[in-house]
Amino acid sequence: METFDKEYFQKLAGGIMLDVNDEEVEDLKQEFAILTSQIQLFDKVDTEGVEPMIYPFEEETHFLREDVVDHVLSQQDALKNAKSVRAGHVHVPKVVK
Amino acid sequence: MRLSDQKDIEIRERCEQALARLHALQPSLNAVVTFCDIDEQLEALKEKDPNGKLYGVPIVLKDNVSTKGIRTTASSRILDNYVPVYDACIVERLKAEGAIIVAKASMDELGMGGTNKNAYTGKVNNPYDTRRISGGSSGGSAVLVAAGATAVSIGTDTGDSVRKPAAYNGIIGVKPTYGRISRYGIIPYASSLDHVGYFTTNVEDACTMLEVLAGRDDRDMTSSLRPVEAYRDHLNSDLRGKVIGVLENVQEVIRDQAIRDNVEALCEKLAARGAQIRRVRMPQELMETILPVYLTIANAEATANHSNLDGIRFGMREDGESVEEVMKNSRTKGFSAYVRKRFIIGSYSLFVENQDKLFRKAQKIRRMLVDHYRALFAECDCILASAAPTVAPLEDEASDEALGKEHLVADNHMQLGNFSGYPSMTLPSGFVDGLPIGVNITCRPFEEQMMFDIAKAIEEETGLADHTVEVKA
Repeated sequence: METFDKEYFQKLAGGIMLDVNDEEVEDLKQEFAILTSQIQLFDKVDTEGVEPMIYPFEEETHFLREDVVDHVLSQQDALKNAKSVRAGHVHVPKVVK
Repeated sequence: MRLSDQKDIEIRERCEQALARLHALQPSLNAVVTFCDIDEQLEALKEKDPNGKLYGVPIVLKDNVSTKGIRTTASSRILDNYVPVYDACIVERLKAEGAIIVAKASMDELGMGGTNKNAYTGKVNNPYDTRRISGGSSGGSAVLVAAGATAVSIGTDTGDSVRKPAAYNGIIGVKPTYGRISRYGIIPYASSLDHVGYFTTNVEDACTMLEVLAGRDDRDMTSSLRPVEAYRDHLNSDLRGKVIGVLENVQEVIRDQAIRDNVEALCEKLAARGAQIRRVRMPQELMETILPVYLTIANAEATANHSNLDGIRFGMREDGESVEEVMKNSRTKGFSAYVRKRFIIGSYSLFVENQDKLFRKAQKIRRMLVDHYRALFAECDCILASAAPTVAPLEDEASDEALGKEHLVADNHMQLGNFSGYPSMTLPSGFVDGLPIGVNITCRPFEEQMMFDIAKAIEEETGLADHTVEVKA
């Protein structure tokens, strides 16, 4: 069983590109206490032999189609919302230094 | 207000009046994120068919609906500067029928919440008592219809986010069958649960809106191939021979006697019209898992869906020394503490070591819930229950995550409609202490006509068609 401490929450947050401060760690401890008690409700349910339900309906609604050009986003549109653009590309801090 | 109102008023004036109402309501309701420019839309309207179902009708969209050239924030700071370069499928359809978008409405950030307290622009207020919440996550869209600003508005419903605010604001909220309305261009929350829905003040308009919005769209892989019906023309409130099941697990845990009595009185009236009323039950231990199953699946899917919100290609970018630092800073500052917490919970349930006991387990219980729910429809045409166990809570009373039985079952049972994908809607059913309450009905997949027919009978009994409220400043 994990220990829900600051280090653990920082690891969880870091994995999805977030930072957490000390106040949020305290909040998360409370949230995880609730989460743990909710998960205990799961344990009461026997799911042996039950398949996970991924989507509401399992009838096929998507199909392979011919590889034709469709709904093209122009380079100009693709870059419209980027904060920093140089030479037709999204600009970010140097990766190789 | 209904869609057919104000047809005698010239279209520009009608839209300007709607905008004036929105501006007048903003100080008390705080429901609008962006007021829209109507000039270009009115110009484009000249090319449209004047017989369009929404020709010249002002409409409000939830701010997670992509609108080309109009800022779309999902009420999150990270998207505060985001201007889509394309329209959502439903925007194309609304425009094709002549609708004029007058505003983008506030919501719980990225759809994650049921109070509309967690929006970047602040709490949305209930028009019946501005100290109370609107409910969420489609709160802005709901209160604007309830206050008579527009006849209809668009919301989305991942875990009752249309149907709960409809109840709290005394209007109709519809979530049709999963796949009935394309979600292309909707900023997602949890893809296996997300539905487009909408608000109206009467059942006829609810029929018309589905006729406009529904239909196959190849760009949403879950979009149904089934034809769209003429719901309004076929509307028939004759209940003879119809079987309505009252979901006892919900009714028996509601503490407010007046809300329980409201459903009982309604059922008596429906029985008098020829409906057979049956008391039905789901296994109690399963009903108590609805909320944790919902939170586990929704948070996990949201964590994955929102991994693209990093400030790099779009959205608010914060500075950093490296790409990773830019992403981390942008995401940390871009999301509220509440949403960050839900992402962290989602990330926890997706950890390899937790997947079986949490995420997969929740998906398995979801199947069991839906199997039991489906079985109820073998003997019932419709399942009915109080939409919420309380009137709209005061701001400090409203909590999204408590553990009491009333909260676990009666406050969250409408998530069955999201797990199953079955069509489900809330209608106003009366008032308690001057505040609106609602009743929820759910039918078999793609039986929206049956749902609207039963809704029409309920509406005739409550006499609450077209009801709106004047906001006291």
